[in-house]
Parts: sequence; structure tokens; C-alpha cells
Amino acid sequence: MIDSYLGIDLGSSYTKFVVTDDSGGLVFNNVIPTLSRNKDMFKNQFEDISNMFSIKKICTTGYGRDTVKGDLKKTELICAAAGISALFPGNKCIIDIGGEDIKIIESGPGGEVINFYMNDKCSAGTGTFITEIADKAELEIGEMSELAKRSSGSNIINSFCTVFAKSEILGWKFNNIPIEEISKGIYLSIVSRLRKLPVKTNIPVILCGGVIAYHPYLQELLSEEFSVDVTIAPNPQYMVALGASILAMKYEA
Amino acid sequence: MAQLKSQLILKGILKDYFTGMKSPIAWCTSAGPAEILRALGFDVYFPENHGALLGASRAAEKYIPRAHKEGYDSEICSYLTADIGAWLMKETPLTKIYGLESIPKPDLIVFNTNQCREVAEWFNFFGREYDCPVFGIFPPRHLEEIAKADVDNVVVQLKRLITVGEEIIGKPLDPEKLSETVRLSFEGSQLWKEVLSTATHSPAPLTFFDGCILMAPIVVLRGTQICVDFYRETLAELNDFVAKNEGAVSNEQVRIYWDGMPVWGRLRFLSQLFAENQTSVVASTYCNSWVFDDFDPQKPLESMAFAYTNIFINRGENAKLEMMKNIMETFKVDGAVFHNSKTCFNNANSRFGLPKRVNEATGIDTVSFDGDLVDLRFFSDGQTRTKLETFIEQLKFKK
Repeated sequence: MIDSYLGIDLGSSYTKFVVTDDSGGLVFNNVIPTLSRNKDMFKNQFEDISNMFSIKKICTTGYGRDTVKGDLKKTELICAAAGISALFPGNKCIIDIGGEDIKIIESGPGGEVINFYMNDKCSAGTGTFITEIADKAELEIGEMSELAKRSSGSNIINSFCTVFAKSEILGWKFNNIPIEEISKGIYLSIVSRLRKLPVKTNIPVILCGGVIAYHPYLQELLSEEFSVDVTIAPNPQYMVALGASILAMKYEA
Repeated sequence: MAQLKSQLILKGILKDYFTGMKSPIAWCTSAGPAEILRALGFDVYFPENHGALLGASRAAEKYIPRAHKEGYDSEICSYLTADIGAWLMKETPLTKIYGLESIPKPDLIVFNTNQCREVAEWFNFFGREYDCPVFGIFPPRHLEEIAKADVDNVVVQLKRLITVGEEIIGKPLDPEKLSETVRLSFEGSQLWKEVLSTATHSPAPLTFFDGCILMAPIVVLRGTQICVDFYRETLAELNDFVAKNEGAVSNEQVRIYWDGMPVWGRLRFLSQLFAENQTSVVASTYCNSWVFDDFDPQKPLESMAFAYTNIFINRGENAKLEMMKNIMETFKVDGAVFHNSKTCFNNANSRFGLPKRVNEATGIDTVSFDGDLVDLRFFSDGQTRTKLETFIEQLKFKK
């Protein structure tokens, strides 16, 4: 078996596993829920990977990076910059929309973090926000992008507070606002959230994270908002774990 | 680094301070005119110190909701809400630590709004509770330059305070005693400055987090020989570390400036976080706030009026920027961390674009994080760790 490297991204909603070979090529990826009641899921996944590959080093990242023993641990921002830089050399601005936060990372060609921004405690505009609002609106996550595309509406959820946003959606339902418009309104609130963040648009803008993986229509809305073509990274949900595995490969202990 | 001997000595000093406190007692804000009160013969108690204690001991979360119930909002000073809540619940950590039945009963309550208006509301609450006279000093605020008229304004107010104090004490203020107290304040403050300045050495022998503990005497015993002696010993101890090239953080790679309040309930967490990442927080706005270069025993009232109006928190943002630039240069920092303390509007300096201007003026990278001085409901361990660790890595990339 060739030498391989494992990156584990323990995010607030999902845990992503990526294995890369000794040249940084992705050879395996999978996702399981984080903090699943079934603790065996993590253990089984880990054992499967250990049986399939000759893992030389492990890097953990994400909110739960301290809970799993690896060779090194790095923040998800450092790993996102490393993962995206493996595919997009040159300076770029990364927008990573995750389960409970949004991160803006200005990264150099080699994955250096030049500057970054992340929200603090409030999770408005993140994956959890969408899930909660969609649930109240009786929307399936998987159908939201297609529905929103069909809407020409510009109504937007104004509240930054997830709880108040849910009440707002209830009002929309009482007023018989079409489901297409509700879907778009949820996305527009994310765009509005990003509007006030320091996104650099004079360099390529790359989207990654779990939210963009399931809500690709956001790409179109964000391109319009920033008047540039924003790009979705391949396997957007796995970019942080990919970065972690690449950093594991580069790590010399 | 092992615990400083000075920190052990400090425990004894604080025990003597609290257990030895006797009437007449004056309450005073931390950058208030303590010298006048001491010279008049008052023992001086500082409610902010009690607020910090409530935060550091994590007792505040029990008391803050009680103050909310009384009508004190959740987004005003959490020293105030913690302290008022504890009072309403008739508890204080001073009972467990020093065996005191309650906080010391005041004969006079004095505040200076050079730091914020919240102190006025806070101290007036206790004035009503104790039926005790309250005297407020209201200096001109947010000054870029301090003119003679500004100082004169404060001198007049200090003179009124002296009259009020003399009536309570029942005898006139001894000018010699005031002059001597100001001299001791100056000496203590200069030694405190030297203590902090040991961190200009790399590796720094003390960090901001050590400073938050060691600062107690310059706040609560300013103007006494005890304070002077303590910092002389502390300085000698720290100079030994400098001579041995021994840092508070092993393998110091990154040096940080801290702006804003400490997160009292997370001092250890944050201290360890920085240390784990080979980073020393070597300088701060906060600890430097008790460095008074302008006290003059020959002109006690004028120099006090100037010194207490000149403090960082009372200045305009252009003046603040200059003060920060000087400290950042002196301490050779790589980055600056701004604590956006939710309930301390007056000492959260990231809200009007100052971090960006610091970066433009110095080239030093900055980061802000949300938190609070006492109310930990506004602080997230995970988010803060991610933010600070990424920032440190960013600085390491650039070195």
C-alpha cells in the first residue's frame, strides 16, 4: 500500500474524512454526522480507512479537532486555505459557509492565510440557519435551489436571529407567499449577510463548505452580488478535510 | 514559567488589605482620586476590583440575572450587574476568601466618569442602598488634546470633593499628606511601568495574563508604601528572569498586543491558548492604564486632574491610536488582538474602525473577537480558539 494521509474535519454538523496519496491526490472521501448518537459510526469509518490505506499521518480540524488524537491539529481556516490552494494556486478569496459560521479567507498561493474574517457567536446565514428556516417553511433542502431559480421575487428575510426569522417565515406562509419565493428569500438573506463581510473581489472568489454543496444556486446570486464569476470548488464540502490531509503530508514531526 | 513568587506575596497583601479595612471607608472608581481619599484618612475600597473578582471566580453568572430582574439591562456593564446582583443576593466572594461578612460599608462613595457613565449609575445605586453621600467627578470626555481649561475644570471638582470629604472626616485635609500620597502613587506607578516594561525583552518574562493579577496593588493600594514595596520586589524578580533569558511562554515565536478588557472568567483558558501556540501577549491597553507619568507631588491637584483625564479610555480615537502605536513599537509586537467586550462599550475599541487604522499606521495585523469582561454568555470558547489560533498562524506565515 502506498503512503497515505488522513484529514478529518469535525465540523459542527458533519464530520468529513479525506485520504490523499503521497502526491496530495484525493483517493477517498466520506461524510458522517458529527456527534451522532451512534458513536460506532466514527470508529467504524476510522477502522475502514485504516484497513484500506497505509495512513502515515493524521491531521484533525474543525470545531471538534481537539477531541480526536492525530499527529497535528489545525483550524478549519488554515485547512480551507491549504485545500483550496492545492486546486487553485495564486491569491484568492475563499468563502466557506459551514454549519454554524461563515468564514472569509484571503489566501496566498501556498495556502498562507493573509487575512480572514469569521462571525462570532451568531449563526445567522449559515447551514444551521437554512436548515431551521427551511424546516419551518416545509422545504426539502435538496429542492431549494431548483425552486429558488424559478422565482423572480426579491423578498428577503430581514431578521438575523434564527428564531425571529422562523416567525418571519410563518408570516410569509400565512400570506400565501409561493414556496419558490420563500426558497429564494432564504438565499437572499445569506447574500445580504455576506454583503457586509470583507470579500475581496479583485482576486478569484472560491466558494466551499457544506452549504454550497447543497445549495448551488447561491453561486449565481453571489456572482450577481459581487459582479464577478464566483467559482464553486470541486467537492466543496471536503475542501477543509482535503487541506488537513495535505498539511498532514507536509508535517514533519 | 513557574508561578511568580510575587503572586504568592500578593495574596498576603490583598488579605491584609481586605481584612484590615476599617471605617471611615470611601469607595472609589479604579482611576478615581484615591490619593485625596487616602490623604483625608479614608480606607479606600474599589468596587471594580470586586467586579473582577466576581468574574474571575465565575460567581457572576449566578448574580447577573438578579440585577436584570431589578431592571439593569443585560447589555450594560457586567461589573455593575454582577456587583449589584451579588449585593441583592447578600453574597460576596470576600466571605469565602477573607471571612468578611459583606463588602465594606461606605462612608463616602466617589466616582470619576473618565472611564464611563456606567460607574455613576452603579455607585448611585449603592448610595441609595446605604443612604451614603455620593460624589461624582465629571471630566471632559473623549479628548484628543487636553487643554488647561480641561484640567482647571477637574481641579475645581477635586476641591469640592475635598470639602465634602473634610466634612465627613471632621478635619481639614493635610496638604503635606496629600503631597506624600501623590508621591507614593507616582513611585508605585513608575515601578508598575517598569514591571510591564520587562516584557519588552524577548522572551517576555510576564504576559498580559500575569499582569492582570499583578496589577491589583496599583489599583487598590495606589498611594501607599505597600504598593511601592511590592512592585520593587516584583521588578527584581522579573529582572532575574530577563537576565536568565527565561520567558513566561516557552519558545516564544509571536508577540501580541491586547486591547480592551480581560475576560476575567477565562484568563487561564486564554493564557494557555496563547502559550500552546508559542505566543506571548506582551503589552496591553488595560494594564498600561495605571501607568501615570504625570503625578507631581509639588502640584498634587493639578497633576491628578491631568493624569486622570489623560488616561487612554478618556481619550479620542486619534490620541488612542498614537498611544497604541507607541506601545506596539516599544514592545515589538507582531499582531494586535481586540477584545470586543459586549458590555463594556467604553473599553471596546474595535467598533469605530480603529483596528483598520492601527493596521494602516503600523502594518501590524489585527483581529477582533467577541467576549465580555465578566458575562461569559457573550463568550464562546470554540469560536475564540479558532479565531485566535488562525490569527497566530497568519502571523507565523508572515514572519
